[in-house]
Amino acid sequence: MNSRRLLAGLLSTIALVSAACGSSSAAVQPKVGGVLTIDNESGTTWTCDFNPYNGAVTGLSAGIFYEPLVYDNLLSDQKTPWLATSWDWSPDNTKLTFTIRQGVKWSDGQPFSADDVVFTFQQMKKYPALDLQSVWSVLTDVSKSGTDKVVMTFGSSAIPYFFQIADQVSIVPQHIWSTYSDPTTQKVDQPVGTGPFVLGQCTAQNIRYDRNTSYWQPGKPYIQTVNYPAFTDNDPANQFLAAGQAQWGGQYIQSIDTAYIARDRAHNHYWFPPIDNIDIWFNTTRAPFDKKAVRQAFAYGIDRDSVSKKGETGYEPAGNQTGVLTPTFNSWLDNDAVKKYGYKFDAAKATSLLQGAGFTKNSSGIMADSSGHTLSFTIITIAGYTDWDASLQVIADNLKQIGVDLTVKDQNSNDYFNNLFTGNFDLAYGSLSTLPGPTPYYELRNSIDSVTSADIGQTASGDYGRYKNSAVDTLFDQFGATTDSAKQHSILKQIEGTMLEDVPVIPVTEGVAWYEWSTKSFGGWPTPDDPYAAPAPWNLPDWEVVLLHLYQTGS
Amino acid sequence: MWYLVRRLEFFIVTLWAALTVNFLLPRLMPGSPAEALLVRFHGHVSPQAVKAMEVALGIHTDQSVVQQYLEYIGNTLRGELGVSVSYFPLSVATVVMQALPWTVGLVGTATVIAFVLGTLIGMLAAWRRGGLFDAILPPVFIVISAFPYFWIALFCLLIFSLTLNWFPLGFAYDLTSQINLSWDFVGQVIAHAFLPALTIVITSIGGWILTMRNTMITTLAEDYVKMARAKGLSPMRIMFMYAGRNAILPNLTGFAMSLGFVISGAILVEIVFNYPGLGFMLLQAVDNEDFALMQALFLMITLAVLVAVLFADVLTAVLDPRTREAG
Repeated sequence: MNSRRLLAGLLSTIALVSAACGSSSAAVQPKVGGVLTIDNESGTTWTCDFNPYNGAVTGLSAGIFYEPLVYDNLLSDQKTPWLATSWDWSPDNTKLTFTIRQGVKWSDGQPFSADDVVFTFQQMKKYPALDLQSVWSVLTDVSKSGTDKVVMTFGSSAIPYFFQIADQVSIVPQHIWSTYSDPTTQKVDQPVGTGPFVLGQCTAQNIRYDRNTSYWQPGKPYIQTVNYPAFTDNDPANQFLAAGQAQWGGQYIQSIDTAYIARDRAHNHYWFPPIDNIDIWFNTTRAPFDKKAVRQAFAYGIDRDSVSKKGETGYEPAGNQTGVLTPTFNSWLDNDAVKKYGYKFDAAKATSLLQGAGFTKNSSGIMADSSGHTLSFTIITIAGYTDWDASLQVIADNLKQIGVDLTVKDQNSNDYFNNLFTGNFDLAYGSLSTLPGPTPYYELRNSIDSVTSADIGQTASGDYGRYKNSAVDTLFDQFGATTDSAKQHSILKQIEGTMLEDVPVIPVTEGVAWYEWSTKSFGGWPTPDDPYAAPAPWNLPDWEVVLLHLYQTGS
Repeated sequence: MWYLVRRLEFFIVTLWAALTVNFLLPRLMPGSPAEALLVRFHGHVSPQAVKAMEVALGIHTDQSVVQQYLEYIGNTLRGELGVSVSYFPLSVATVVMQALPWTVGLVGTATVIAFVLGTLIGMLAAWRRGGLFDAILPPVFIVISAFPYFWIALFCLLIFSLTLNWFPLGFAYDLTSQINLSWDFVGQVIAHAFLPALTIVITSIGGWILTMRNTMITTLAEDYVKMARAKGLSPMRIMFMYAGRNAILPNLTGFAMSLGFVISGAILVEIVFNYPGLGFMLLQAVDNEDFALMQALFLMITLAVLVAVLFADVLTAVLDPRTREAG
């Protein structure tokens, strides 16, 4: 019953992603109507709190009520003006000026303005608990300029933060939020936003969203009503979806071809685009993981394809050692370098690397150094993620062949994350707990830039393995200081080079956005051919963009 | 009279002990709510912000255990149960009151039905020992009650909801309905509760049948039953008023206990049927190290069991004059 949807749930708590809207779907204006039901295991019943800053419920209000300044498609980095009509970086890339859209109204009829944007950011500065994206770690000032401009000033150029600032921050109305005594603990049961839907009704078991008739994008949305039922477990949610009672799914379904597709072959579809990596983290402060050769040996000692097939039933593709997601970020991948290193299962090569590092096989077939320390390790992971356990079994079998003895230790999620964040592990298996972004930069930076790390015992927001390489840190800074795409590509190639040569972390498989849909009564879905938005209902704020594209088919 | 006073003393001492264990137990678990909070925010939040959240949630990690204990007892007596971490920012009372009616309605009704039916079947089976009724029903239900709860639940769901479409799939009432007192809504509630209730009844009825049948057989061999027969009383009167009334006594305490445990919900049934009850809430509270919610739920379970047992004691005193005199 436990599954990886739990992880998706966790991610969705702060998760956001993005979307490009300006598309394609409707040459003929579709008629307004239809009731769409979302099917996504939330693991809880609804509290009817629509505070977008409460990590546990942000996925129920971000986008659909509270919109971002710009949509930035998580899958393609394509940016679409939203509450801001345009934006402009100063020549030295330390000032970002947004021009705010005019004529937008809050759902209570009050006009939306640049003041609301400034208020939203100032409030996050005043209450750091609201700053889920840590935007104030790079911002120094946010102020209004003229009537419709907002200027954001950065301590140093931090261009990739555009994604967090423009796409991930939900703009809230000043005239409502300024009345709250403490927005961090405020229960918002009557949300007022600029988004395409307004709250119809909320009970513990279902939220009904009704069409916002005065939405600023004329004619949209096409759907009259959206239902979002609360599912406490995966199985009931999957049955509900398979029975056709919901049209938009966002979760793991075991044997999806028989359990879902076969129930209605003409209309049921699924697509699982990769959005992050599932990694083996080395604690590089502990021997022998401070040795590059040992880490490389691990990378040659794991058969990623077989982990993907046996552990993840093929739903989650094998990762590659650069950490660049494929096919999502194919344009960033340095194919030549990947070929040069050729990281695939190669027991002979792994063994010779270990021997070169001074290890020899002892009588029981385990590698040991001259003083008798064996390569026996414990790898921690999250209890209940059965697919990860299966993957780790494959990994342990692989590593056995190169003389490494691996013991898997399942920990409850609190213990696991605490150990991961504070560096209390030899090896850990799992993905970043920070959000992925629309280019490989975001995940790679949080994985190996030592700025995101912390001393052993302190809470690190990234680089859990405490990998320290000042050259690569500088590369991340350089990437963050340029808007020139060609230059960014060439910097990222150098970072990929470090991933391949140094193996600070091993991306084993690629985590995906679970997404199932039925074309029986609705059209306009994102597909591999038209990936206009990250497609899972827990991809925020992308789900808003998907909801704006969907329309009722037939009568 | 002394009998009841003694029971009341016992009730108060047990309640205090339960309150204390309830306070200690969550604190003996590994991890802390502060860590849980940190994980919720994925390490994005500064330690200062976490401190602020802790204060908002009423977690005072810097207080001594004795201080926390006194504060806990005081708050509990005043009915202040705190704020739930897993349902933040809702108060524990709000969260519990949302789920309580569903659990009491579903599990309570199912438990009463299972007890009444089970007792009747057990009584009849013993009355006509060796008959066709006795040969079929008790063994069948006892075998069924050995099946795992969730297996029966999944089976019912698959047959009656997914395949035959007789009953709705999951939830306590139709998705888009609002809670109200119309006949239509009552109908929805019954339709949604039918399968989960059926599961509970058929998996728990076996125990009642078995104990009732066995004590009934012993009772039927008693002299006063023979005497009643000799007097020529009607079989019905003998079965209910002579044999049944005495045979039910041991079952009564068991029934009271299970009524108390109704509050703890039926975790697996609630999960399989996606039913918004307390059982699932308890599981979630433990998962999230939601101390306040956990304590409130444990407290309610303890209280409910204690009250039910006290009630059973009183009832026993009414049904069985011997207990009154023995005191």
